Amino acid sequence: MSPSNGNHDLFENLRLELRRGCLSLAVLSQLRTERYGYTLRKALAEQGLEIDEGTLYPLLRRLESQGLLTSVWREEEKRNKRFYRLSPEGKLMLKQLGAEWQRINSSLNGIL
Amino acid sequence: MELLDRYLQAIEFWLPKRQRQDIIAELSEDLRSQIEEKETELGRKLEDTEVEAILKRCGAPLEVASRYRPQQYLIGPTLFPIYRFVLAVLLIGCVVPRFLIWLAFLLADPAHRGYLHMENLWVTVLYFAFITTLAFAIVERSGVKLQALNTWNPRKLPPVRDPNRISRFGSLFEIGAAMVFNVWFAGIFWPRPAVDFYGLRITIAPVWQVFFWSFLFLAVANVAIAGVNLFRPYWTPRRAGLRLLFDGVGAGLFCGLLKAHLLVGISASSIPAAKAIELTNLINTWIARMLPWAIVTMLVILSFDVYRIMRLRCVHLHGGSIGPAVKDLSSPMVNGN
Repeated sequence: MSPSNGNHDLFENLRLELRRGCLSLAVLSQLRTERYGYTLRKALAEQGLEIDEGTLYPLLRRLESQGLLTSVWREEEKRNKRFYRLSPEGKLMLKQLGAEWQRINSSLNGIL
Repeated sequence: MELLDRYLQAIEFWLPKRQRQDIIAELSEDLRSQIEEKETELGRKLEDTEVEAILKRCGAPLEVASRYRPQQYLIGPTLFPIYRFVLAVLLIGCVVPRFLIWLAFLLADPAHRGYLHMENLWVTVLYFAFITTLAFAIVERSGVKLQALNTWNPRKLPPVRDPNRISRFGSLFEIGAAMVFNVWFAGIFWPRPAVDFYGLRITIAPVWQVFFWSFLFLAVANVAIAGVNLFRPYWTPRRAGLRLLFDGVGAGLFCGLLKAHLLVGISASSIPAAKAIELTNLINTWIARMLPWAIVTMLVILSFDVYRIMRLRCVHLHGGSIGPAVKDLSSPMVNGN
C-alpha cells in the first residue's frame, strides 16, 4: 500500500465517521413530511447530501426500531412503497439533535 | 429485469429471516425506480450493462445484506486482547519446549532427531486453539465479563513493576537455598576415591575433583552475587554479565559432567562382579541421556540472562525498557556495581 493510498483510505474512514452522525440528523429533518425511500434519497441528493440505498434503508430501519420514525406500506403509481415520517418522539429528538448540531457547529467554526 | 431479480435473490439469502421479505420489497422498489428514471431519461429500455452498473454501484450482495444485520462477533473487542495473549502463551508453551527438546537431541544425539513428531504437534496446537477459543466465546456470552468489568478496584491492580529490581525475598531465598545445598553437596560429594553408601562402595573417576571444586566455586560466587543483590536490589550490567558468565560456565560444566562417565565402579558383597559392571555402565549411559534435557534447561536459563542484559542496555542507551514496565528513575543503576 503506497502512502497516498494509505492517506486516501484514512481520509475515507474519517469522512465516513464524520458523516455517520450527520446522516441521522439529515434523514430525521427530511421526514418531517412523509416520504418513501427513493424520494428521500433524491431530496437529500438535491441538497448536496448523497446517500446510497445500502446506507439509507438500514438507517431508516434503525431509526424506526428506536421509535423515532413510523412507516406504512401504501400503493402509489401501481407499486407498493414504504412511506416514512417522524413519530412524536422523533420530532422531539430532531429538536434536541438540531440544537446540539448548532452548538457543535458554532464551536467547530471557532476552533477551525 | 432478470439481473435485478438475481441480485435481490443473492441479497435475500444473507438477510435476517424475519425481515427478509420486507427489506427485499423496499430495496426492489428503490432499484426499479432508479432503472425507470434512467429509462425515462434515455427514452429506451436499459441494456444489461447499464443495469449491471447500477447494481454494482449499490454494492456486493453480502455487503448490502450485512448492513441490515447487527454487528456480530465470537469474541468481542474487550476480551480479544486477553484471548490473543492466552492463545500466544499456550501456543508458545506447547511449541517451544518441544522444539528445544528436538534441537537438544539433534545436537547431543543425532540418532534421536525424529523425536519431534510434527503431526502430533499440529493436533496439540489445534486442540489448544479450539479449547481456548471455545472458552472465550462462552465467557463472551455469559455474564462473567460484565461482572468482572463492574467489580474492578484500582487498589487491587498490581503494583508498578520494575523488571530491573531484584526482590529481596528472592535474594534471601537464593542465599538460604544455596547454603543448604552447598553444605549437603560438600558433605556427600567431597572428592575421595570411593564413597560408602548403604553397603555399596561407589568408585568415582579422579576427574570429579575438577568438577567438584568448580561447582563449589560457582555456588559461592552465586551466593556472593545474591548477597550484593540483597543490599543493592537493582540489576546492573556488570552483575548481570557476571550472572551470565557463571551460568554459562555452570552449564558447560554440567553438560561435561553428564558425558564424563564419572562412575568407575560399584561393588557390594551381595552383587556379583559382572552384574556390578553392567549396573555401572547402565548408570553412566542413563546419566549421559539426561544431556538433552540439561541443554534445554541451560538454554532457557541463559536466554533469561541474555534478555536481562539486553534490557539493561536498552535502559542505558534509550532511557526506556523492553516490555511494559515503567522505568523507575530512582533506580540506582547508573553506577554499575
